[in-house]
Amino acid sequence: MKEVIEAALEAARLAGADYADARIVDSSREEIQVASGRVEAVERSDSFGLGVRVLSNGSWGFAASREVTTAEAARVARQAVGIAKASALAAGDPVRLSALEPARGTWSGPCEIDPFSVGLEDKLALLTAADEAMRAEPAVTVTKAHCGFYRERKWFGSTEGAFTEQSWFESGAGIVAYAIKDGEVVTRSYPNSHGGGWKQAGFEYVRDLDLVGNAARVAAQAAELLTAPECDSGTVDLIIDGSQMGLQVHESVGHPTELDRVLGEEAAFAGTSWVKAADVGTLVYGSEHVTVTADATVPGSLGSFGWDDEGVPAQRDPIVDRGILKGLLTSRETAHEIGRTSNGCMRADGWNRIPLVRMTTVSLEPGTWGFDDLVADTGEGLYIETNNSWSIDDKRLNFQFACEVGWEIKGGELGRMVKMPNYTGITPQFWASCDAVCSADHWQVWGLNNCGKGEPMQVAHVAHGAAPARFRGVSVGVGR
Amino acid sequence: MMTPLEARELARKVVALTLADEAEVLVAAESSALTRFANNRINQNVAEDNALINVRAVLGTRIGVASTNRLDDESLAACCEAAVAAARIAPEDPSFPGLPAPEPAKEAVRASESAREFDAEARARAVAAIIEPSRSRGLTAAGKVRVGTHVVAVANSHGIDVGMEVTGVQATVLSMGETGSGWASFLGQGTEGFDPAAMGEEAADIAIRSANPTDLEPGTYPVVLGPEAVADIMDFLGFMGFSAKAYEEGRSFMSNALESQVMTEYVNIIDDATSPHAMGLTFDYEGAPKQRIPIIEEGVALRPVTDSYWAEKSGFINSGHALPAPNSYGPLPLNLEMLGGDATLEELIGMVKYGVYVTRFHYVNVEDPVPVTLTGMTRDGTFLIEDGKLTRPLKNLRFTQGAVEALDGLEALTTERKFVGTEEGATLVPGIMLSAFNFTGQTT
Repeated sequence: MKEVIEAALEAARLAGADYADARIVDSSREEIQVASGRVEAVERSDSFGLGVRVLSNGSWGFAASREVTTAEAARVARQAVGIAKASALAAGDPVRLSALEPARGTWSGPCEIDPFSVGLEDKLALLTAADEAMRAEPAVTVTKAHCGFYRERKWFGSTEGAFTEQSWFESGAGIVAYAIKDGEVVTRSYPNSHGGGWKQAGFEYVRDLDLVGNAARVAAQAAELLTAPECDSGTVDLIIDGSQMGLQVHESVGHPTELDRVLGEEAAFAGTSWVKAADVGTLVYGSEHVTVTADATVPGSLGSFGWDDEGVPAQRDPIVDRGILKGLLTSRETAHEIGRTSNGCMRADGWNRIPLVRMTTVSLEPGTWGFDDLVADTGEGLYIETNNSWSIDDKRLNFQFACEVGWEIKGGELGRMVKMPNYTGITPQFWASCDAVCSADHWQVWGLNNCGKGEPMQVAHVAHGAAPARFRGVSVGVGR
Repeated sequence: MMTPLEARELARKVVALTLADEAEVLVAAESSALTRFANNRINQNVAEDNALINVRAVLGTRIGVASTNRLDDESLAACCEAAVAAARIAPEDPSFPGLPAPEPAKEAVRASESAREFDAEARARAVAAIIEPSRSRGLTAAGKVRVGTHVVAVANSHGIDVGMEVTGVQATVLSMGETGSGWASFLGQGTEGFDPAAMGEEAADIAIRSANPTDLEPGTYPVVLGPEAVADIMDFLGFMGFSAKAYEEGRSFMSNALESQVMTEYVNIIDDATSPHAMGLTFDYEGAPKQRIPIIEEGVALRPVTDSYWAEKSGFINSGHALPAPNSYGPLPLNLEMLGGDATLEELIGMVKYGVYVTRFHYVNVEDPVPVTLTGMTRDGTFLIEDGKLTRPLKNLRFTQGAVEALDGLEALTTERKFVGTEEGATLVPGIMLSAFNFTGQTT
């Protein structure tokens, strides 16, 4: 691989590149899904290729090919330089990169049981058992049990002298029960919606999720939701569970603090941000209970790596400290624009995509509350679990989320179940209303492998540590 | 980049390599390039070549799927073996009807020489022309100019052997001022009809007109939706409601409602990959010919779209709407059209006493699948309509609204229609006027 990368870098230099990096990515994926008693998918896919990114006369060019040979690497490098030269027809100020010590070394993620070594029979048996357990509930008419596995090996080199090799496994699984009756569909998922739970880990993670042991509860709750009332419209004190808090952090802290968005580089597709680069150090993002970090070193998190796709080492950085904006997610180019060095957030979705500023493990740090104490302290309010729907505006201010299930809080205890509760807010006001976060005992890292950004669309694997948290005076039951 | 004939030959070769009772091979090759701009300059400029082989192996009624982008003989054989190995372990699926038999697909040319010639320099010149109207007026432009060539071939052991080339050129521009923004877009098979300078002017004009937006109380208002906004609603209707899988599982608003009036008589929705103006493939990813399917006719729900599996399951004929195997989504319509009416956009606005004009939506998502209750934001040109005229720009509004209910209040449509999406999934839509649309919040 090193020979191919060096061929690409040398060809880029000869064609006039001032800087070049090359990545070879070799990935494999396995997806298995059982739905309503039928095996819907048993799929194995492999992808292998090379991408070359160059800077020539201050403009970017990138080209990629599935043929990984020294000759093709040289051709792709020359194509990338040609594209960069065409960029000069509509160029701005020359791109500059923040300083970086060239990275060299290897890194691998944690894995006890290679998931690709586990037989399909064992995986199907687990999913079939979970699916059957859900179908034992008569009101549940559609069920899904899914597991997926991913392996990536990546080689990176640059004209600055970097050369790294990284490899890791990702494993994930989940179940969903749908209760459908008279034109109404309600769902209940475990351990999370939108693909279940995911970690950088081996098959041990899927085994430990105990899908079968949770199936009856999930199905029973889906059945109960069919007859549960809708959440009343109004303003309540709201406790949000850890999984939904993870998505709340993702959408309303993670994305708005990506420096490429802040600088307008993603304006036309994903949008910009209500945060300005000059806000760092002074902007009140939320209450004193809100501390958010970006950490690419969390063992087993989907947001972890040795080096990002520019060769910047993984690191932990404060984003919000006790309510005050302290940092942003950056790349070498964007960091240079604000006079900083990169904190290592550039990642690409495979060999055929350029790296973009992406979240790592962006987490709401734990507070001190026990969950039962928090419910008791709330008195009257609403507790909600598991995301069902999400939407947020192009500046990451106006958001609306819906969850699968909620429980009214009456007299300091969880009471009646409500279906499909939704809530809306404006980012800084919402985070300012946070007055309690549960403790480390209730905190966990939620893997999220469907974060879309960029054109062509890229899907990043990121993660969020979160525990249940309370927000005062939140608008719920919107549009009902 | 392989030709359609080469792709078909490769597909047939891999079918022969697959030691199964039935075998299906999809070849999907792509050569694409995208020039992206922001802050009035090109900021990303990328190109890629790729090709994917997808093998579906069937042993009895047991099915396995494998795919790879390595096309050497050894890797192709390994891919076939992986699909067969998966099928060997999968349980029997008594409901599997077998792979489809060949049927003639409509011959159509869906590739343009102008797309093949649209190189990095030509794209950069187009970007410069798009940017200029914004730059010259103190605005900031961002967007993209993309070109793609796709070669798709499908072969199976029953004799399906189809292949074709599809090209597309797509451009978008967002023009931003301090407080307002505007949007324009283009989608075509080639560069014919693509006027970058006019696109740049259109977006810049909206940006200037939408400066200094004002508040509007949340509530239910009549709306005029531009084609980009209509396309979002259509795409979610297609995803949530028009699939035979959703229909059979009771998750579609059409479940138990066929032959019923579900929307006003002005709503006519078809999926038609065969029309002369359509873009994309004329066969689906099982190689079955795509049929023209009226889905909603004069507001009456007629039928969902199918693939071979869901045709057998639902009793509707196979309409040729399969996605690549394995497909847990079920069949989906990728050539949706809402038929137009007899009005101009100005005439739609003229029908509204007090309401809202929406250029496009942002980040729309589904809160409730059966009524297709959507929430999202307006973006890049939201205006108040008073006495039939656009009077002032509005801050972006959040809506929470059932799409089926909204279309039951459709009162008029424009004659002119526009393609929105990509060449692989282009939605053809008019502008529409709805009597009621529920706005539930606003960006501060």
